Amino acid sequence: MRPPRPLPEPPCPRREALARLARTTLGVTLGGRLAAAGQARAADGPKASAVITLWMLGGLSHIDTFDPKPGREEQGPTETIRTNVPGIVFGAGLRRLAAMADRLTILRALTTQTGAHEQGQYLMRTGYEPTSLVRHPSMGSWMLHATGHTGDLPGFALVGDPNHHPGCGFLDTRLSPLAVSDPDKGLQIARRPAGLPAPVLDRRLAIAQRIDRSFHARYPDAGVAAYDEMYAEAVKLLGSDDLGAFDIALEPEAVRKRYGETRFGKGCLLARRLVEAGLCAVDVDSNLWDMHFDMFQEKVFPAAIDAVDRGLSALLDDLAERGLLERTLVVLATEFGRSPRINSSGGRDHHPAVFSGLLAGAGVKGGMTHGASDERGFRPDADAITIADFNATVAAAAGLPYAKDFFAPNGRPFKIGGGGSPVREVLA
Amino acid sequence: MTNHPVRVLVVAAAILAAGAAAGADDPPGGKSRAPFRSRAVPKERPQSRPGAAAPTPAPAQASGDGALVTRLPEVVRQAPAGPPMEVAPIDRARRPEVNAAAALIDDLIDRASPAAARADDAPLDDALFARRVYLNLGGRIPTAPEMVAFMASKSPRRREELVDAVLASPDWVSHAFNLWADTLRLRDAAQFPVYAWPYLDWVKRSIALNRPYDQWVREMLTADGRPWENPAVGFQLRDLGMPLNYVDHTVRVFLGTQIGCAQCHDHPFDDWKQREFYEIAAFTAGTRAGVEQYRSTRRGGTEPPSRTRLNLRDLSAEYQKLLVGKPKEELPYMGHLFMQHLRANALSIDNGPHDLQLPQDYRADDGRPGDVIDPRVPWGEEPADAGGLDPRARFAAWLTSPDNRPFARTVANRLWKECFGVGIVEPVDDFRAGNPPSHPELLEHLADLIVELGFDTREFVRVVVSTKAWQRRAVSHDPTSATPFPFRAPVLRRMTAEQLWDSILTLIARDIWAYQRPPYEAYALLGGFDLGGEGADLATAIPVFERFQKTLSQHAIDQRLRHGMNYLDVWLARASELPQPSLAGSFLREFGQGDRETIDGRREVATLPQVLTMLHGNHGRAIIDDGSAIMQALLANDPDRAIDVAFIGILARPPDDADRETVTMVLRSAPTALDGFRDVVWALVNTREFLFVQ
Repeated sequence: MRPPRPLPEPPCPRREALARLARTTLGVTLGGRLAAAGQARAADGPKASAVITLWMLGGLSHIDTFDPKPGREEQGPTETIRTNVPGIVFGAGLRRLAAMADRLTILRALTTQTGAHEQGQYLMRTGYEPTSLVRHPSMGSWMLHATGHTGDLPGFALVGDPNHHPGCGFLDTRLSPLAVSDPDKGLQIARRPAGLPAPVLDRRLAIAQRIDRSFHARYPDAGVAAYDEMYAEAVKLLGSDDLGAFDIALEPEAVRKRYGETRFGKGCLLARRLVEAGLCAVDVDSNLWDMHFDMFQEKVFPAAIDAVDRGLSALLDDLAERGLLERTLVVLATEFGRSPRINSSGGRDHHPAVFSGLLAGAGVKGGMTHGASDERGFRPDADAITIADFNATVAAAAGLPYAKDFFAPNGRPFKIGGGGSPVREVLA
Repeated sequence: MTNHPVRVLVVAAAILAAGAAAGADDPPGGKSRAPFRSRAVPKERPQSRPGAAAPTPAPAQASGDGALVTRLPEVVRQAPAGPPMEVAPIDRARRPEVNAAAALIDDLIDRASPAAARADDAPLDDALFARRVYLNLGGRIPTAPEMVAFMASKSPRRREELVDAVLASPDWVSHAFNLWADTLRLRDAAQFPVYAWPYLDWVKRSIALNRPYDQWVREMLTADGRPWENPAVGFQLRDLGMPLNYVDHTVRVFLGTQIGCAQCHDHPFDDWKQREFYEIAAFTAGTRAGVEQYRSTRRGGTEPPSRTRLNLRDLSAEYQKLLVGKPKEELPYMGHLFMQHLRANALSIDNGPHDLQLPQDYRADDGRPGDVIDPRVPWGEEPADAGGLDPRARFAAWLTSPDNRPFARTVANRLWKECFGVGIVEPVDDFRAGNPPSHPELLEHLADLIVELGFDTREFVRVVVSTKAWQRRAVSHDPTSATPFPFRAPVLRRMTAEQLWDSILTLIARDIWAYQRPPYEAYALLGGFDLGGEGADLATAIPVFERFQKTLSQHAIDQRLRHGMNYLDVWLARASELPQPSLAGSFLREFGQGDRETIDGRREVATLPQVLTMLHGNHGRAIIDDGSAIMQALLANDPDRAIDVAFIGILARPPDDADRETVTMVLRSAPTALDGFRDVVWALVNTREFLFVQ
């Protein structure tokens, strides 16, 4: 294990910078925000004002992707491929990313104790172990909180299932991710149907509010209040002109093809649209990765990793072409790795001891690896990174005050990222 | 309080008078029990071509598509012909014992409560009590006629009678199924190539017949054979190919203990050793899912490959040849489905001798990789009479033994949580020294109770809801608060996704059971053939396969919902009869139905898409359709009484003076009374009062 580092001073942006960040990324309208955001970043230094996190839920095999062990028995049937950075080798399924490795920072010595999916995912998304006493906020909600999110559109979206997401934790309900379950459908429901014009909706809501008075008087309850807030948010959202951001069908066909006709690729495309529209944080979930058996069959790992290779490389290219990569951090994360030893069913089992992650874009360097696993991929060999360190690194790259205490309603202090120390070597 | 029993009685007469038109359902389990409505095995529909791609209905917004059903299907507009299923009757004669058992629980709660906690005690009036009973035990709101029948009852024991009636009704079966489906991760599409539906129906049947919990759990843990001959194998098939996860899940669900971490290392927060995990796993190491695994020489079996295996290989190869020359788009699809059907006929759970070895990356210093591990229970003793059984049966006997306190505590705590909204141990599957119960004495008492009741879970719930505590007005609770919940009343809760869906269905359909899943017996009947038999050839297999495709395949079943039960793409069936789980993004999933990959995965968190769905999902259009159950009931009355019907039918209470004033104002300014009532019904469904269970 790595010796403890002294806690660095947090690069906490000044109040004015925070205010500007909020204005530029969270404003009411979307038009013209891009240029303003770019200017803001130039003044602040290379920190990300938006974070896209691609979640490989189920546990991504490090050996078959970002930390191959060519020539070892553990490598199994997955071939390896050289990247455009000398000395860095990937699994052969990542040929497009291999050609842009100079943009990527690969973390090869992430480590955790948690080998169960749910707990691992919670830890990865919040920096904290789950407990029954408090729900911790996920990174996207922290971002909105720290930057003082206001505005009509939500600042944080999740392409995936909100049941598996810690959401806003103990923070305000408004800071929860807006969940889009299916990137193809977007927020279909947010389009006002012909049968329900605004005056009718308003009239009906007014009736509901009056009838609800006695219930509200009887139950001053946080759960009830959360729905009051959501109804208010929904009405605001319906009045917004910016809903098109959620509709990937508005993209030219060539762009859609570039990302790939997969759920993951579409999720990446939606994430780009949302970041372009001014959202601060987008989580894209892919839950294909719990590959305990027959994982090397064409339709299992090879197909899934090809979707990631295509989607992520298209995302990075597209963000770069639009100038968005200068202010957007792209993270690829998973809850743990997969065992170097291939099991008797032709799959790999859970392996929390060491695994890989990826950072690219604003706030981080590129063309490098950090940390290493041992020669067979079982344990960290150098510069192990805990999950809290990993989260603090993301927070630091986004210019968030990761060393500051924030207080939950129960009075206990919590830190963005779980109190870890950023890996300074990878920060730009 | 806003409810006026006398007022309800006056309204009662009016609604009952309009009975036929308004749809006066019998109260569940009522005396006028019609003959059992058999779930007939579906008939073949020759016009549906197997393998043809499912016609996807256009989204409701794309109007002008003539194929889209925009009128409520006739079948849900009719009053039900009779009870949809047989439910084990409840023993009315046991009421005195039930009440005595409930009083003991109240004593324990009272003794544990500081005086300050009692200050919040408030009685729950009859109307809200009835709504809570229907929702918490029956999974849906009561209809206006049901409410009226209850409020009109002069019996001093009407609360008890209502509880007993709902617990003996199909509503209880549907609701309890939803709860277990979440815990057992019930999915239609389990691991390839299993059809999971027979297993799901078997779970539902076990609830309907009120089989003792320890008994059906033991059956699941020890079942052998093919899924549609012995549907209980579905539990073991759920984790097909992941024997260690199976152990983790089983211990977590039934013993409330998380040992999963110990699979890779000693547990960081508990005193689980990695070795103990493998000792438990050794009990089920001999369980194999596949095609007669123990009759293959490959895996150490002594007999040569069975005829089933050979036929499986030969028949699928022959079938592929037959497909040559068929329309191109059907080829891979048909080949895949036929293969799946063959394998479903061949696949079984077998149990035999098999050693468990420590894994290659075993970390602890109490063993070496490759060491053979003997099965050993992690606590207590194996029951004496389990000695001669095979290891898997010994494990099941130990796990479900009445002497195994964690087994009793876990199920008692789960059921308690379903009633009160909070467990005595939270989370319900994380019992350990560092996470003690908030009320240890109460927990032990409840564990004793479930054992005394012979693991009759329904009777246990009957006792719990008969307590004074459960019958008090709901209170707020912050789950992150450091003060333990005093259990002097249930928590105010949002409806679960299924409760909300079934409540909305109750407003739309007079017959909420118009669609039911086929019984599991139908699967063997329509889809089964003996792949190992002498006459197993394509000439036998193809007709069976084609019949199955037309009747019971996922595709065929979806088609029946799509075409028969569809209103603007809202499928008018109870949540327990819909695909398990619903698709991501569907109403149920938006409202937090679990994906059935995670144990107890459901959530009741507020999200924006939920509210958008409530604002203008198509179910809302169905509720205010002229033919909906609630609108029919309103239209059968004069406006003044219709206001009462609306409130009683949706919120289970009559309107108070302010409500009446609001509605009168709305009706006065609306172009027609119908328009006005549409606004009112829509508004009532969009209140927090509707969404929460008081």
